[in-house]
Amino acid sequence: MSFTVRNLDIYLGRSQILHDLSFSLPSRGVTGIIGANGCGKSTLLRGLAGVLPAQSGNILYEGEEVTSMSPRIRARRIALLPQSGLAPPGLTVRQLVTRGRTPWLRPFLPMTPSDQAAVEQAMRAVGLTDLSARSVDSLSGGERQRAWIALVLAQESGIVLLDEPLNFLDLPFQAELVKLLRGLRQTCRIVIILHDLTVAARLCDHVLALKSGRLVASGPPSEVLTRDLLSATFGIDFDVQDLPGTGKRVVLPESF
Amino acid sequence: MRHFLLFLLTLTLAFLALSAGRNWLSPPELLEALLGGPQGVGRMVWSLRVPRVLVGVVAGCCFGVAGIVFQSLLRNPLASPDIIGLSQSAALGAVVALMAGLPIMFGAWVGGLSAILLLAWLAGHPRHGIEPRAVVLQGLGLAILSGAATEALILRAGDNDAGMMMTWLAGTLNGAGWPEVHDALWLVLMMVPLLLSGRTIDRLELGDDLARALGLRVGFLRATLGLNAALVVAGAVALCGPMTFVALAAGPIARLVCYGRPDPIAAALAGASFVTIADMLARSFSSMALLPGGLYTALIGAPILILAVRRQARRETS
Repeated sequence: MSFTVRNLDIYLGRSQILHDLSFSLPSRGVTGIIGANGCGKSTLLRGLAGVLPAQSGNILYEGEEVTSMSPRIRARRIALLPQSGLAPPGLTVRQLVTRGRTPWLRPFLPMTPSDQAAVEQAMRAVGLTDLSARSVDSLSGGERQRAWIALVLAQESGIVLLDEPLNFLDLPFQAELVKLLRGLRQTCRIVIILHDLTVAARLCDHVLALKSGRLVASGPPSEVLTRDLLSATFGIDFDVQDLPGTGKRVVLPESF
Repeated sequence: MRHFLLFLLTLTLAFLALSAGRNWLSPPELLEALLGGPQGVGRMVWSLRVPRVLVGVVAGCCFGVAGIVFQSLLRNPLASPDIIGLSQSAALGAVVALMAGLPIMFGAWVGGLSAILLLAWLAGHPRHGIEPRAVVLQGLGLAILSGAATEALILRAGDNDAGMMMTWLAGTLNGAGWPEVHDALWLVLMMVPLLLSGRTIDRLELGDDLARALGLRVGFLRATLGLNAALVVAGAVALCGPMTFVALAAGPIARLVCYGRPDPIAAALAGASFVTIADMLARSFSSMALLPGGLYTALIGAPILILAVRRQARRETS
């Protein structure tokens, strides 16, 4: 499953957000996208998902142009969880997760047993089977985010794109979600936008660093999450420490 | 199952409406009149009540289905065509057409389509597309503007038709006969895509980006469903005037019945029941002249509006 981006330019309205991006994603594991606010992370993710048109360049999934796939076919291969997931009021967890089967449903026909099985498995993967009848509004922040992740898992696509899923979550919920995502990396390919660079170091197998719509670095976290590249990406200085004996890297702004 | 129960309710109400009027018919009398052929009571039922009830049911379906489609597309329970000015603009078009001697349906369609295109243009943003909240607020203005223009036209015309036209403007099935049933059949056809749009509008409620990522052609679907709903509601206005609050109330009722999901078929049946009840009341309790059914839809619909807003506000604060 190759996923390659070549010379990608994306505009929103008249302003150019992404400039001449080229990279390929590793065939498995978690790819993190880091960069300051407004650098084009979300735009890149939406471009990769094919929900935004690319002005020039290619996004190739197994050699096939993503932007020219039929939307349903594309949705079976690439899933996107946008940043602001607002569940319609009263929707239960199971109903929300069921929405992920949309690209597989035949028009006007109900779900098949294999759709049902995918929904069950997605809820099991995020540990929400017991809460499946609860309304999404009534869940805690972490549970709610897991429900949304179950939706994109139920889509059974080869690639899952997550836009800042850890935002606005308390640390215990973040920890819970990082554990969940680490478990998922075996089964699917994840691209995730992250703000916390220590989490990025822990979670990602590959990191893309963006600045003002341009690619600063692309590589394994040990090579990208370094003092030099991070200060080039964010414009401030960082302390980067490897915790002895754990293989964990801690990244903090120097001024903290 | 829910659809079947609602259908049964609508059917029961329709038969009740056939019995209702200045002289009430008992069920055996009604059956005899319906099967008996065109003499005596049978003639009255077939020439007056049957077409009137049929037109009411179809118009109610139109208002209901268009109501829930707009409420869902704009993610706002207030965003029904009678609040955002589509019904009023269709009425304006119909009155202009009536005065110019053109077909009323044509005038209403021109009015409704102009209104929705105007709103889409006003609320459009080059980066973010159409902003739903802007549609609702600008639509409120449009509703007042079109309403005022229509009344000015009617009052300026000033002859003895003014009273009748004001009644029509409140929404009434007075004068609905077999020619209107013929028009209504076209509206039934035009409604079909909206009735089948349940899954689509449900997915669109998840937000445009997620809906796109789930494989929907969001821009195309929003545009076609919006135009289709505008045409359907304008057609219903041409049949019986802008029945106040039917489109607004049908959506919340349908959601109440369908666990909060936007169900166009349920909304259509709710609208049909609503109009049928209102017209029945109008015919039963108006002693001298027939009061407009729109009066009763307003009386019932306004409290539903208040409850819907209250529920929404509670949900947002909780």
